[in-house]
Amino acid sequence: MKNTLRQVFHSSKFVVGFVIFVAILLTMIVYPLINPGNPLEMIGVGTFAKPGTYVSLYDATKTPTETLRLSDAGDKRLAKLLSDEDRVAMVEWFTAMGIDVEGLDISDTDALLELWRANYDPSAKPKGMTQARRNYYKRLNNSIASINASETLIIAEKNDAGELEEQGQITTTDYVNVRQVANVKALPLGTDNFGRDVLKELVSAAGTSIIIGLIAGAVATLVGLTLGLLSGYVGGLVDDIIMFVTNIFTVIPGFVLLILISYSIGQEQRGATVVALVIGLTSWTWTTRSVRSQVISLRNRDHVNLSKLSGHSLVRIIITDILPYIASYVVMAFILQVSSGILAEAQLSLLGLGPRTTEVPTLGLMMNWAMLYSAHTNGSWWAYFPVILTITLISFSLNLMNTGLDQVFNPTLRD
Amino acid sequence: MKNLTKILALLIAALMICGSFAAFAEDVDLPREETLYFAGQQWGTVNSWNIIGTNQNNSMAIAGGASGYRTLMFETLYMYNFMNGEMIGLLANDGYEWNEDMTALTLSIKDAAKWSDGTDVTGADVVRTFDIGVEIGNATGTGFQAYVDKIEADGKNVTIYAKVNDEGKPVNPLKVLDFLTGTPIAQAAWIDTVVERNGGDAVSILNDAGEDVVWSGPYTKYYSDDQKVVLIRDDNYWGQDESMWGALPVPKYIAHTIYADNPAGENALKAGEVDVCQQFIGNIQNLWLEDGLPISTYYEEAPYGVCLTMPTAWYNFNLPVLAENPALRKAIAMAVDYDTIIANAMTNQSPSFAEVPRSLMNPTEGEQALYNHDEVADLQWAGSDIDGANALLDEAGLVDTDNDGIREYNGEKISLNAVCPNGWTDWQASMEVVAAAGKNIGIEITTLYPEWSIYQTVFTNPSQTEYAIYMWSPEAASPSNPWTRANQFMGSEFVGVENNWSGNWGQYVNEEADALLKQIPLTTDTEELKALYTELTKIYLTEVPSFSLMYRPSLFHAVNESVWTNFPAGDDGRNIPPADCTDGYGIAALYELELVG
Repeated sequence: MKNTLRQVFHSSKFVVGFVIFVAILLTMIVYPLINPGNPLEMIGVGTFAKPGTYVSLYDATKTPTETLRLSDAGDKRLAKLLSDEDRVAMVEWFTAMGIDVEGLDISDTDALLELWRANYDPSAKPKGMTQARRNYYKRLNNSIASINASETLIIAEKNDAGELEEQGQITTTDYVNVRQVANVKALPLGTDNFGRDVLKELVSAAGTSIIIGLIAGAVATLVGLTLGLLSGYVGGLVDDIIMFVTNIFTVIPGFVLLILISYSIGQEQRGATVVALVIGLTSWTWTTRSVRSQVISLRNRDHVNLSKLSGHSLVRIIITDILPYIASYVVMAFILQVSSGILAEAQLSLLGLGPRTTEVPTLGLMMNWAMLYSAHTNGSWWAYFPVILTITLISFSLNLMNTGLDQVFNPTLRD
Repeated sequence: MKNLTKILALLIAALMICGSFAAFAEDVDLPREETLYFAGQQWGTVNSWNIIGTNQNNSMAIAGGASGYRTLMFETLYMYNFMNGEMIGLLANDGYEWNEDMTALTLSIKDAAKWSDGTDVTGADVVRTFDIGVEIGNATGTGFQAYVDKIEADGKNVTIYAKVNDEGKPVNPLKVLDFLTGTPIAQAAWIDTVVERNGGDAVSILNDAGEDVVWSGPYTKYYSDDQKVVLIRDDNYWGQDESMWGALPVPKYIAHTIYADNPAGENALKAGEVDVCQQFIGNIQNLWLEDGLPISTYYEEAPYGVCLTMPTAWYNFNLPVLAENPALRKAIAMAVDYDTIIANAMTNQSPSFAEVPRSLMNPTEGEQALYNHDEVADLQWAGSDIDGANALLDEAGLVDTDNDGIREYNGEKISLNAVCPNGWTDWQASMEVVAAAGKNIGIEITTLYPEWSIYQTVFTNPSQTEYAIYMWSPEAASPSNPWTRANQFMGSEFVGVENNWSGNWGQYVNEEADALLKQIPLTTDTEELKALYTELTKIYLTEVPSFSLMYRPSLFHAVNESVWTNFPAGDDGRNIPPADCTDGYGIAALYELELVG
């Protein structure tokens, strides 16, 4: 046993796969400790907040400030309000309105703004200018209006009489230390369509998906192994019947069967466990076939015949004389079943046939909602790409482990 | 043998090539600068062009929109403008007249109005349109026979007699006005042809393909298959007459590519392949703010469009726990986080309930003025009121007796489902929020998203007990609103109706509300009307037979100005409603479109 393990851990492929898998498992265990709470809590009110660190504006205004005189602060502020494209667009407006722009340098902000303030008219409709473009100029004008509005902002609150009472001022050189602000929320992967923290949800979903994969893999392997052993060892009529059923299931595409069963169960009954069972119960056929063929080659070996002559029971022969010879194969099959179980859940959920949605996050459901909300077309990559990456990593690591094991146990592949 | 296979293979290849050429040949080549492209209206292949039929699936030509009839091919007597409630004459001259007790309404058909075959549109066409509708039971017949008794005509003059009740008063004069804006008029002679060729059999008349249909509108059928539908301008259109538009509509072709789903239509809009898009697009402002696309909506700022209806969650009164506990109904409604629904499901394309408090009215100024806001202010709830909801439930004796976190009623834990069709994402998101609210107040609410084909048979079934809380929208805008909507919320006339698409999907009964609903259509005095509506709103907010989740436009109206411009906009002073340039008075926009550049 020890020797086998040593052999296994000598396979670089297995080790890489194992490390990735353990890293994912560790993240699943450790991250909820750092960032506890319900992963399905809708913290954002809108949809798809971008990844980043969110600082409470309310708390920031109540945080003690430091004065920092940064030489490029003014330029940065201006660039945010008035980009180079905006400057070109302003000239386009002047041209459309027939205003002389001879000698105007668009990098000369003051001159540009002066000409703009003197000539912009929100109600003007230059010929051939679309509504969308006119709306753009309105927004640009609002942006320009705030450029030189004032160097200080006043914070005011309503007093008992309902009048605004000045509470403080903010100047352009006031800075707060993010660490001192009472509420700062880091959302490394932003929020999803429901305003939920994607990273937190992802970690929790990866856990659920792995559990679904494990249950599906265990069921499929158990059913496949039992039937394969019986069929291969007992032979005769039992073999015929089992292979008849197996063949029927083999010719029906497994995924179609999976869709039909999931659909007919109905959404109310479809919890994560039920989905896992359904996946397991539709994917055992190839395990049965391969176990059976291995058992057939084993059953006439001398030690098995000896066992038979000694009067050992069927169960004992199977468990002690046959199973150990195919154990390595079964482990590899199990790993592959887990991997395909996770993928099957993702596929099912993507079609809207996964576990019902209010209880647990799964990787497939996250993709399903991202797709329903057109995350792929509106540029919200953080809602689906990390999910795809996670699914890929999990099945990649499992497959890598499988290949590694194969190299160790399969004599034809051994170096 | 080998040769035979070869020949066969060649033959098949040749057939495939011919086939693909045939497909190309069928394709119509539309000059981009003469075509206005739509998305979000037509799904699937057109079934028929039979204006007096049913199930035409022909959205561009035959569609009774929630905010006015689509008059591209078939015309109504009047066009409704939901921006100001005006009824503008189309086939009929402006101005109709009621007699004193509102039992008869007279109007006259425009002299210039002509059918596509050159004959005059007359009063007889209106009469025949109504009569055949009643006879064969099409939308016109079933929709109006309860309110319109008969129509008589004398040349171009038409008199519509309202159905009267036992007291000799009209049943509902408002619905008679709906007839004027909501019924496409068909030609009497053509109706006769159809009746004759179908041997007078109602079912076959309804299912007649109507390929030979006679129309009066500015466009007619040009091409349709499973890929697209194209209408072409009728350059002999009568409306060029000075008494109507004085011109032809600008685009020569109206085309609607049949997209697989919303994202496909949305992508086509972004690419400039679609000019007018009737689809909900989440965070639509990003299309111009971030992507810099030449796309705009009616209003530049949120809510971007004109909200005319409110998708509503209906309580099922067939379930005793909901029917017997007004406190439970109100508590759930109080606990729901509407701000999240509006920000999330509608991406803020709806006013909030703080801005427009809930009532029976849509957010338009006209309807909001119809009830006294102050009188019902105490009954309002803003949402997310977990403490208030819990207190209400405790007070009503709905408590958690076995400490499992879920309250019980009659010893059974209160477990409800919140249902809407699968794939209707904004509604699904709303149901998720409702379910989340349940968790906070000790009510088990699980979401359920059946396929549309299943959903529609269940929620229209008056005795169903499968769904507890489920979504549907009441009517948007028409001359008879808000009465029609109020009736949908509380009118008992729909209770027990099989295959009920008309209203009161929760089977709620309240005699007091019924009496008010009978009285309102007969009331013309504004103050009295306001008092009645206020009373009705009070009942609605106290009894909570249903609760609205958001406000929503009946038509989404996003335009891409890559090719066409001068679409209606909120600040252009033209008062053309954002009705996709096709519905009600919205069609006026087609006469004022301009090419970009």
